[in-house]
Amino acid sequence: MPAELIARLLDSNATWASDVSHAEPTFFPESTKGQSPKMLWIGCADSRVPESVVVACKPGDIFVHRNIANQFHPKDDNVLSVLTYAVEALNIDHIVVVGHTYCGGATHCWNNAGAAPVSPSLASDPLTRWLGPLTILARQQQSGPDATDAEKAIRALIEKNVELQVLNVARTSIVRDAWKKGRDIHVYGWVYELENGRLRDLEVSISRENALPM
Amino acid sequence: MASNLGFMSYVLRAVLFQILVFHLLHTNALSIGRVDRRNEVVLSQDSLDFLLTNNKAWAAEVESKHPGFFNQSAEGQHPKALWLGCSDSRVPESVITNVLPGVIFTQRNIANQVPPNDTNAVAVISYAVEHLEVDRIIVAGHTHCGGVAYCYDHAAVLPKPPPNPLPPLPEPILNAWLGTLYAAAVKLLQGTPLSRDDGLAALTLQNVKMQVANVAGLDVVKHAWKEGRDLRIVGWLYVIETGHLQDLGVCIGPNGTACTTF
Repeated sequence: MPAELIARLLDSNATWASDVSHAEPTFFPESTKGQSPKMLWIGCADSRVPESVVVACKPGDIFVHRNIANQFHPKDDNVLSVLTYAVEALNIDHIVVVGHTYCGGATHCWNNAGAAPVSPSLASDPLTRWLGPLTILARQQQSGPDATDAEKAIRALIEKNVELQVLNVARTSIVRDAWKKGRDIHVYGWVYELENGRLRDLEVSISRENALPM
Repeated sequence: MASNLGFMSYVLRAVLFQILVFHLLHTNALSIGRVDRRNEVVLSQDSLDFLLTNNKAWAAEVESKHPGFFNQSAEGQHPKALWLGCSDSRVPESVITNVLPGVIFTQRNIANQVPPNDTNAVAVISYAVEHLEVDRIIVAGHTHCGGVAYCYDHAAVLPKPPPNPLPPLPEPILNAWLGTLYAAAVKLLQGTPLSRDDGLAALTLQNVKMQVANVAGLDVVKHAWKEGRDLRIVGWLYVIETGHLQDLGVCIGPNGTACTTF
C-alpha cells in the first residue's frame, strides 16, 4: 500500500543515516561544507537506474539529472540549467549520458512512430512533445535496415539516442565556451543493461580534441 | 618512544576504522555507496573506468545475494513513488533511502523545481502517474541548496523596496529556470528580518510548498483525482547535516485538499 511504503522509506533512511554516522562520524558534517562531484550523470528517470547505486558511489560523488529517456534537448531550460551549474559553478569536466535497455520511452517511440503526429514536438500533450526528437529518430530508423527485428531495433535506437544526446551536449555554447577557455571537458555515452546490471561504454565520447568545428 | 607508540596506535586505529567502515558499508544494504579505498575519487578517463569496475563488482554482488534480480528487473518497473528532487550530488534518493533499483522513479534538477510549463518535468510526472500508476509524489528539498542560496543571496542585496521589474540573476539560464524561486526570495526578504541561516531555511521550505502546489495544479494530477485515485503529493526535506529525511507535514491529496502523508 502506498502509505505504508512511504513510511518505510523514511524508516529506512533513518537506519541508513544512523549506520553511516556510526561508521563515519564526520561524513555528514563534512558534507555540509559543499559538494565537489567530478561527474554529471544525465540519465533516465527509470526507477531501475539509480546512478549512485549502480556505480556504488557515496553521496557527493555524482551530480545528476534524470528525465524520460535521458534526453538533452538543446533548448530545454531544465537540462541546460543543470549543465550550466555543473560546468560553471561546480567545475565538472566529465559528463556522462546514460541510456538503458528496456527503456519505456524508447519502446513507446518505436511502437508509436507511425501513429504519432507529424510534428510530435508541437503536440499539446507534454509527454508526446518531450518524446518528439526520439520519435523522429525512431522513424528514421524504421525506414532503414534492421527494422524488422523489433527487439534488436529498439536496442539500436537506445544506443543511437545516447549518441545523439552526447552530440547535443557537445554542441552547447556552455561546453564550447569552456573548451575555448582551455577546459578539458569530456562527454561520454554509456548504456546500462538492466538485465544484468552492467554499464557499457558505447565509445562515442566527444572531447575538445575530437569535437567537430561548428 | 612514547610519541612513536602514540602515533602507531593512531595509525592502527585509523586502519582498523577504514576496514570497519568498508565492511559496514559493504554488508549493509547493497545500495549504500562504497567507501573509496583511495582517499579521494580523482576523475580522469582512468577513474571513469574505476566507476565501471565498481559497477561490475556491484552487479556481481547483487546477483549473488538476490539471484534473478536483474532478469526480473527487465520484465518491468513498478516504482512506489516519484521523487522530484535536486541534482545536488549529496542527495541521491535511492542511497539515502537505502532501496534497491526499481523503487523510486526520479527527476532531479536544479533546486527541485516543477515549473508548470516545463515539458521535461511534466513529462516525467505524466509518465509516472499515467503509465506507471504511481500514487505518491515526493517533492524533496534539502538544506545547503546551492540554487536556493543563489536566489536568496542575490535577493538580499536588492534595495528595499526592490526595483520593479527585478534585475535578473546574473546567469541568464539560471535566471530563466529559477525565476519564481528568486521572486519568492525577494518577497521573503521584505518581511521580518532574518539571519541568513533562518532565511535560507524559510526559503527552502517555501520552495517545497510552492512545488507541491505546482504539481497539484497539473492536468495529469487533477485527472487522476477525477478518476478517484488516491494520489498524494508530499513535501520532504533532506537534512545534509544528519542524513535524515523529514516529512514536512505538507501534503496535497484527492481533489487538491490537504491530507496527511501516511
